[in-house]
Amino acid sequence: MRDVHLEVDAGEFILLVGPSGCGKSTFARVLNGLIPHFYGGELTGEVEVCGMDPREHPTYEFAECVGFVFQNPENQLFFTSVERELAFGLENLGLPREEISRRVEQALREYQLAELRDRSPYELSGGQQQRLAIASVMVMQPKVLVLDEPTANLDPFTAMRILALVRRKTLEERVAAIVIEHRLEVALPFATRMVVMVGGRIVDDGRPVEVVARQKHVVGRLHALELVEHLAQAGFSLEVEKPSPEHVALSIVKAYRVSRLAARRKRSDPG
Amino acid sequence: MQREESVVIQVRDLYYTYPGGVEALRGVNLEVYQGEVLAIMGENGAGKTTLIKHFNGILRPTRGQVLVKGIDTRQASVAELSKIVGFVFQNPDHQLFADTVYEEVAFALRNFGYPEHVIENRVRWALNLMDLWKYRSKSPFSLSEGEKKRLTIASVLAYDPEIIVLDEPTAGQDYLQKEKISETINLLRLMNKTVVMVTHDVEFVTEHVDRVAVMTKGRILAVGPPQRVLCDTQLLRESRLVPPQLIKLSLILRRHNILNEQEYEWRADKLALKLVKILESDTNGGPSGI
Amino acid sequence: MEALRAFRFKRENTVIDKADPRVRALLSASLAALSLYAQSVEKHLMVILTVLAVAAVARRLRKLAGVVKAALPLSAVIFALNWLVGSRTDLVQPLVLALRFLALSASLSLFFMTTSPDELSLMLESMRLPREYSMLVTMSFRFVPTLALDVEAVMHALQSRGLELERGSITRRVKNYLYLMVPLIVYEVRRSLMAAEALEARGFGSPRKPTRYRELRAKGSDYLFVVLLAVYVALFLAL
Repeated sequence: MRDVHLEVDAGEFILLVGPSGCGKSTFARVLNGLIPHFYGGELTGEVEVCGMDPREHPTYEFAECVGFVFQNPENQLFFTSVERELAFGLENLGLPREEISRRVEQALREYQLAELRDRSPYELSGGQQQRLAIASVMVMQPKVLVLDEPTANLDPFTAMRILALVRRKTLEERVAAIVIEHRLEVALPFATRMVVMVGGRIVDDGRPVEVVARQKHVVGRLHALELVEHLAQAGFSLEVEKPSPEHVALSIVKAYRVSRLAARRKRSDPG
Repeated sequence: MQREESVVIQVRDLYYTYPGGVEALRGVNLEVYQGEVLAIMGENGAGKTTLIKHFNGILRPTRGQVLVKGIDTRQASVAELSKIVGFVFQNPDHQLFADTVYEEVAFALRNFGYPEHVIENRVRWALNLMDLWKYRSKSPFSLSEGEKKRLTIASVLAYDPEIIVLDEPTAGQDYLQKEKISETINLLRLMNKTVVMVTHDVEFVTEHVDRVAVMTKGRILAVGPPQRVLCDTQLLRESRLVPPQLIKLSLILRRHNILNEQEYEWRADKLALKLVKILESDTNGGPSGI
Repeated sequence: MEALRAFRFKRENTVIDKADPRVRALLSASLAALSLYAQSVEKHLMVILTVLAVAAVARRLRKLAGVVKAALPLSAVIFALNWLVGSRTDLVQPLVLALRFLALSASLSLFFMTTSPDELSLMLESMRLPREYSMLVTMSFRFVPTLALDVEAVMHALQSRGLELERGSITRRVKNYLYLMVPLIVYEVRRSLMAAEALEARGFGSPRKPTRYRELRAKGSDYLFVVLLAVYVALFLAL
């Protein structure tokens, strides 16, 4: 990484993208101290996450504030029962048993894991495993949630449901989410902000719709947004709130209705 | 299709149950034609990977039959079938083991008994094709993820199988890596190979694929050209497939009576032209375009 | 591979399952100790029958019978070797040794069949084993099925490149299986690094002693079991 500047507020859902090897995973691991402690290396500059500098605090001190969900659910589920998995992080925090019990029960309900409470992760589907991984981390009530390619092993339908869950949590609990994802069509509709990294540097940071338009040669294109661009070139500019086909479609419907209304008025009032 | 329509893989009434008791395939029938690019899609757990593992004998039918170029997969070993069907696995890390990239690619050729001078030519050709020749003396473990993926493809291409099966070739790949894989698929098509791929990437499919087979719960729901299959809302809903962006968009426009089915377009520029016409005809106060 | 299945835990709802895991450990350990102590064929048969009886109560009789069946070949080898090495006329001693092997396998697998890895780690922690070590045990169990899948994946990947594991001479095939080692080891080392990362991210490794969500608490029925067990042992020794 080189010369990285970033500020993240509560409630943001940041989509962090960039080609393989651009440094996004490295960056993510600074946020909870895995860099520099687990991985070594040299970290210079000003870093403050939840008021702490990762160079001065070991990773376990970040666990309360930064939740990290990794790509492969297999490697972050350690126990043979869902319930035990949820309790693990809380035990590490040293919380009293009643509090652990309360939070575990709440998580089982909120993340729809109640019927699965005794199951081993081996018996869960990929989507359920990832939901469990997120729940195990969220149960610790972090202020920051980092997800490193959380949907890589999931089909698009399940992937979108997982990301919708994350989005809901950023709104409900004012958690700041940083999501690393390659598939724009899956993740972009949920993002409030998009950051692009190339070669260890941040090359763009801003509203998803705008950033995608500027960075298509790096991050690929979204067909729905391509359509908006072509329409704009033909003289029809659309206002698109979110970079999803649904939003673009609705903008087109709106534009169509407006133009029909105008046409009808023109016809009924020639003078 | 302009290509010769001889069947290279025949799946007849295939049932498969895993040792743990899970019935993954329930009566699958499929024909794969020579030279085509076929995509198998469906949600996780639908049976896609289970199905393709029958194509080179990794799995053998519990009931039913799978014929590869006329050979019953029960009668041949995986190594033997792999000569005809090259399998590119999703995770390169499951198979890398050699000291050098060169040796990694030569492995299959040695197993199949090719003479050394042929091996040298083939390895060079395959590595050059995948732009990896410069790494030939390096350890395969030192390559980046994208390079490892290309290495596994090179390892399969080197022994020139007729049929190539890819398990989620674009999973976890960034934009540029996906472009490279696109090029590779086009190349395979030019080489008249038969390509079968399991994928979730609908956008990729619309650009490269002749036919799509949609699976759900161990069965094939439909097989056909992507233009037909991926516009069928009922089918998409039943198989929990996310349609391509522009189709999703067109379906919404259709619900609002702005487009009709004949006007569905896959490409943004073509769709834009259609929409411009529709929007313009209204602004001019003329008859609506529908 | 089949033998491993004997040690796989599956949840049931019997009185044996509801008992405190320490009681079950005590049961299996006692039976194993009695088997080591006993010198007669009858006593060993009694141990084996007891294990089968408990398994029946735990609704796992068929599974346990399967374990005994799987252990028979090795048991027969023990019999044969001891017969050859000892005096040829004495059949009792080799038989005792063969039965001892069966009794030990049966009582050990009875414990693992009825105890989940989580209960096992709870039990170890209640015996003052530090969290790191009890987690070693739990995670080993947790990852065994995953590991089995990885072995299969590597096998399939290499077979698909022409590595012949199904045909040919035994020596050839054994040599070919060795090719699986490198990718498998690299893969598992990577996996363990990723798991280590995830453990740290979840707060593991803090010098602060972790609290325990679940505590083992012995019930009245557990004490009853212990009493019954004591009676059994006494009778066994007396007979």
